[in-house]
Amino acid sequence: MILKESTIKEIKTRMERYPSRRSAILPALTAAYRQVGHLDNAVYKEISRVIEIPYVEIAEAATFYTMFPKHEVGKYLIQVCHNISCSLRGADNMLIYMQEKLGIKMGETTDDNLFTLISVECLGGCSAAPMMQINQDYYEDLSREKIDTIFADLRAKAEEEGK
Amino acid sequence: MQGRNGLPVCVKNMSDNGKEKEQVTLTIDGKEISVDKGTTVLDAATLMGIHIPTFCWHPKLDSIGACRMCLVDVEKFPKPAVACATEAMPGMIVRTDTDEIVKARRGVLEFMLLNHPLDCPTCDKGGECDLQDNVFHYGIDKSRQAFTRRRVIDDQTTDAFDDKRIGPEIIRNMNRCVTCYKCIRFNKEIAGEYDLGAYERGNHTVIDAAPGEQIDNFYSGNVVEICPVGALTNTDWRYKIRNWKAKQTLSLCSHDADGQNIMLWHDQRQLWRATSRRNDDIDDGWICNIARYGYQYINSPDRLKTPLIKKEGKQVPASWDEAISLISKRFKEIKDSKGSVCLAGLIGGNQSVETAYLFNKFFRNKLHTNNLDYRLEYIDLKGSDETEAYNCLYRAPFTIADLEQADVVFVFGSNFIKDHPAINLRLRKAYRKFGTKVYTANPVETKSADISLDEMIYSPDTETAFIAGLIHAIIDNKYYKNIDETKAAEVKTMLAPATLDEAARLCGIEQERIVNLAKVLSEANNPYILAGDYFVASAKRHRTANGMYDLANLLGIKDSNAIILASQANSMGADRVGVRPRLTENLKKTLIDKWGEELPESPGSNTSQILNNSLDEEIDGLFILGANPAMRYPDGPFVNSALDKLDFLVVADLFETATSAKADVVLPLAGWAEQSGAYVNVEGRYQKFEKAQDADKGIKSGIEIIHSIARAMDLSLNLDNAALMHETKDIVDAFEREARDEAKFFEVKQAQIPEHDNYPYRLLVGNDIHHFGYVTEHCPSLMRFTPEPYLEISPNLAEKLGIDEETLVRIESTTGKLVLKARFSEYFEGDVLFIPNNFSATEVTGLVSREGGGWVKIEKLDDK
Ligand code: SF4
Ligand code: FES
Ligand code: FES
Repeated sequence: MILKESTIKEIKTRMERYPSRRSAILPALTAAYRQVGHLDNAVYKEISRVIEIPYVEIAEAATFYTMFPKHEVGKYLIQVCHNISCSLRGADNMLIYMQEKLGIKMGETTDDNLFTLISVECLGGCSAAPMMQINQDYYEDLSREKIDTIFADLRAKAEEEGK
Repeated sequence: MQGRNGLPVCVKNMSDNGKEKEQVTLTIDGKEISVDKGTTVLDAATLMGIHIPTFCWHPKLDSIGACRMCLVDVEKFPKPAVACATEAMPGMIVRTDTDEIVKARRGVLEFMLLNHPLDCPTCDKGGECDLQDNVFHYGIDKSRQAFTRRRVIDDQTTDAFDDKRIGPEIIRNMNRCVTCYKCIRFNKEIAGEYDLGAYERGNHTVIDAAPGEQIDNFYSGNVVEICPVGALTNTDWRYKIRNWKAKQTLSLCSHDADGQNIMLWHDQRQLWRATSRRNDDIDDGWICNIARYGYQYINSPDRLKTPLIKKEGKQVPASWDEAISLISKRFKEIKDSKGSVCLAGLIGGNQSVETAYLFNKFFRNKLHTNNLDYRLEYIDLKGSDETEAYNCLYRAPFTIADLEQADVVFVFGSNFIKDHPAINLRLRKAYRKFGTKVYTANPVETKSADISLDEMIYSPDTETAFIAGLIHAIIDNKYYKNIDETKAAEVKTMLAPATLDEAARLCGIEQERIVNLAKVLSEANNPYILAGDYFVASAKRHRTANGMYDLANLLGIKDSNAIILASQANSMGADRVGVRPRLTENLKKTLIDKWGEELPESPGSNTSQILNNSLDEEIDGLFILGANPAMRYPDGPFVNSALDKLDFLVVADLFETATSAKADVVLPLAGWAEQSGAYVNVEGRYQKFEKAQDADKGIKSGIEIIHSIARAMDLSLNLDNAALMHETKDIVDAFEREARDEAKFFEVKQAQIPEHDNYPYRLLVGNDIHHFGYVTEHCPSLMRFTPEPYLEISPNLAEKLGIDEETLVRIESTTGKLVLKARFSEYFEGDVLFIPNNFSATEVTGLVSREGGGWVKIEKLDDK
């Protein structure tokens, strides 16, 4: 079993709030993601057993949402918006810069397991495009300088926590 | 309106449930039309003959408005609307042909082509592709595409052109998908299967099997047929012939009894594929994989192509003349020296009804014997020719489509998905759309019971006790109708076990559940009781049938609603034209009338009596046409010795079989696609099928064979093909069953359950889900789903016995032994085992006794 007792319990409590079991798919995925750090087939299978919804439907729902990482990711998951507003405001250049800066390609994780870089569709932050989301936080109006600072800060933070 | 194959499609008013509906009048392209309330603009336009292009719409699926191809202009709507999901409203003014709409549709198509590889020349769907047609019609021949197209390459695939195999038959090419979701919707909505999904979203959408699995469900072939583009294709058909080069012939599934309508695609020498031919009365346009791929045996390289004659113990090739004159000589000798009663005939349940009728006429009218039968897959008929109750329920006038109006359906002894693929889907539809309540009672957990409100599992061989219990529950709680208390009390004394409590204990189902079922059935307005193959194959089915008859009478269930379902494509036809020893009075009269002669007087023998009599040397000559009892009839050793004992055995079949191996003369027989004819399906519906391909020169049809034997014996059957068709149809039409007598009640007594201490496990034998009868092992596509025989075992029992999946297990009964690989069942829970009897390599019937089904012990073979 991948899911801990507590996670399963959480999923079951959430289930009770909905008239149909199907509605519990997203809360279940969220709970699993919080515990495991990413989602994969094995996790879908377990969720499917807990909420009694076919496995394939769990996989469909999970993959529909880009905010659930589907592989193991670094400590910081960088999701860069590449949708229209952000693109017009230079998201592509930001992406190239970030790849150079981190020395990884899209979808990869740095050797120190700190950063994973992916691009995503519109995050609803168009007014401050280009923008990105790192874990739960938004970073807006991106520029090269801003990116340098953000990465440096996060590195420092990680080191701090590492101690 | 034109369907995908250029064939007309009848569009039924969408008022599926037959109730009167409110009318709505609207205007489309300047013309007024009134339609049922709830009809979509698309359906209304279709009724008027106005064509609106679609991708995601399907007449039998709920509309989701995903593709936007069907845009139309509706006055007062701010933007174009999707016709397939817009309900017709009073006074609505719709235009389907404005410049703006044409422009909008062109826009939709341009988006669809954004990532499309434009590989029509190498795409198998070319010529029957909705995208190709629509693009051609709207003339999008320029692309403004400036960036690289999305390409989905699956790195595990070795196939060219970005193809990925996602199931035993199905190949997916994601580049061509227009994300209409029809495949997924069919799978989930109609079939209730969850082995295919749509992952990611928008531009990234991927259609694929469930992660790490395959799409291999029993109805999976339909997704290929409804995919509007070349995204889903199957190995069966692709790259073999272009669709416009293939001819189409109307046909029927030649296996199970539902009579699914199919279209055969062929070039007269070879069949290339089968597709559905929508018939709303039967299949709604969905066909199972056996109907779809089960035609392939016709083109098998193993087909028999010359007659064989046994000479000095060995079968050697011979000419037709030699074979026929030998048969005629030997039949005459037997008839003259020992009398007609020493001749007998058995015919398979998937020979055409004409063949069955001619067979009957040949034996009864020309050879003067009543020894004939078509029931070759049942357990022992026990001397009687079925009972009154059994026959009455078996011949009841049932209609598949009427199930939609049922409020409660009780399925008794059937895994519907295997036994009756079309009825299964109809029941699912009734459940999903009209809230029909389904209850099941089976000897084992079944796949199709997933929609059952209460899935009851009775202990082996306690069918009769179960039904007796149900009758007790009805009487004890006064749920009965049409009779008074005294009568009820009298009926109660005719039951064994004598109380509900005892009955419930014997069949291992809690009393409350039986009472609940009785209550639900008694409260229903339009309840059904349907009995399938587990019922039919149960040892004491006559006793159980009595119970079912009583039950129907007690609850006043309509004649058309309590049925024992027939098993094979023409079981009903053979029954109606009289291929059985005992005939109904009505049929006797019709036959005497047609033949102008009395029928032979001897009582006649049914299948089991024929076999018994041949063991006792009372039957000397047997003609088996298109059947394989040595492989399919219970108690293999008994059947084999009976066949060995015969003086003279003639077998006509498509293949060499265990039965033909015993024959003195073997005749190569034409398959159903090589001749025209008709089948009578489970409802008693007479349906024609047409000849698609010419048989090999060395092969003759059953009708030709019977005629040539008759001629050689100087007996003329005096029926050319047209007359035969006519006469057969007349007889089928004139058939009248002996109706149910509502005041009649039979005894319902559970038989003694035999002890089998040393053989603790119940063995069920039957069709694998992807096989039917003994010919499907010659269908490569079906063999891709289930390539070999296996022992299906519940994971619980396997664990108890230390058996792993794929390990070899020895199975032993009092009559035989077998070694097979174990396969864990997804459904079984108890101490029940299953082995398919569709593979000639395993003599599984050797494990089953004629009296009481199969009881076995099993043991893991050492790994050495
Ligand atoms: S694979 Fe075919 S049926 Fe399925 S969504 Fe794509 S185009 Fe539609
Ligand atoms: S387009 Fe980037 S946040 Fe909306
Ligand atoms: S057919 Fe109407 S939206 Fe697809």
